[in-house]
Amino acid sequence: MQTETTPAQADVSELDLVRQCQAGQTEAFDQLVTRYRTRVFAMIYNMVHNEQDAWDLAQESFIKAWKSIGRFRGKSSFYTWIYRIVMNVTIDWLRKRQIKAGGAEFDDAIQLKEIDPASKTVPRADPLPHQRMEQHEIRARINHAISQLSPEHRAVILMKEIEEMQYHEIAQSLGCSIGTVMSRLFYARKKLQNSLRDVYENV
Amino acid sequence: MKTFEEKWTAWLDGQLSGKELAEFESSLPDLAAAEAEKRDAQKLGSFLKQQLGAQILSNAEFFSHQLHERIARDTQDRHRPTSTWWTIPRLVWSGATALALFLITTVVLMTQHQPGEQSEYLTQILNSRVDPAANPNAAVYIFESKNDNKVTVLWTEGLQSLPADYAAK
Repeated sequence: MQTETTPAQADVSELDLVRQCQAGQTEAFDQLVTRYRTRVFAMIYNMVHNEQDAWDLAQESFIKAWKSIGRFRGKSSFYTWIYRIVMNVTIDWLRKRQIKAGGAEFDDAIQLKEIDPASKTVPRADPLPHQRMEQHEIRARINHAISQLSPEHRAVILMKEIEEMQYHEIAQSLGCSIGTVMSRLFYARKKLQNSLRDVYENV
Repeated sequence: MKTFEEKWTAWLDGQLSGKELAEFESSLPDLAAAEAEKRDAQKLGSFLKQQLGAQILSNAEFFSHQLHERIARDTQDRHRPTSTWWTIPRLVWSGATALALFLITTVVLMTQHQPGEQSEYLTQILNSRVDPAANPNAAVYIFESKNDNKVTVLWTEGLQSLPADYAAK
């Protein structure tokens, strides 16, 4: 996993920084934040698709991490631990927003029934010509496709494809089994293939 | 026992090998179509990585600064002494003091209360003994009037005479 560090900072091991944080040193926590802020922000942004919301949720995640760092025992890597906090904060926020909006944004129960596990994915719409497809249009299509996924499906596909995390790391971050991760990944991929095939086939 | 979805995902990500891989591939009705599907999913993965992986945090330093401020404020709040008047020890002491005052007042009031003439009289009657051999149907009742203050009625039945020690005091 790539992190945002200077050579001097990289010399200090993550576990040492965590121990310093546990002793109350905010400077050590600053270093951990510097290492992970961009990735955490990007992860949240890709889930919520709003810069201000992503900023606030990233702040909230790091505050929670600081408050509970005393309970970090080093059984998993620090980034898996912080991703778990990030995912809890973000998924909670998405769920609350869904309730406020009347719950119409995504519905796994309906969408999963529509997918035959052995089916071949087909383009949903006619492909747009590559020359006419602007970057923001591509992004809008991706955002729309991702917004149709449940928060849990968004989380697994982003952690696997963008963060390149292993199944067990995703499972730790989401507090579920590896089998659940694999199953969610299967459906998330199928849905995105259905929604975006015409886009990635032409880019 | 892995489900089809789990096996498919593992196969797609290159996580199946040996016997498991051979078994899964032989179970697919159309391996060529599955391979095409795999390539398609891999293309989706590369596409997402390319499009979404470049998201940057603008004002990263301000982000850290804001976070630092919030943590400092939070730490300050946590270390500020709480000055609520009714702390637990105070509450305990107040309760104990109130109980002690109540007990002292009760004892003082009880010791100050002088038993009246009536009480002495009743004690005397109750302590008196009626000889059952001489008075087999004897009964002594005492009534205390609630309406008329300090009025007590002694009702005797079946007595040939009052006990000798009656009204000795």
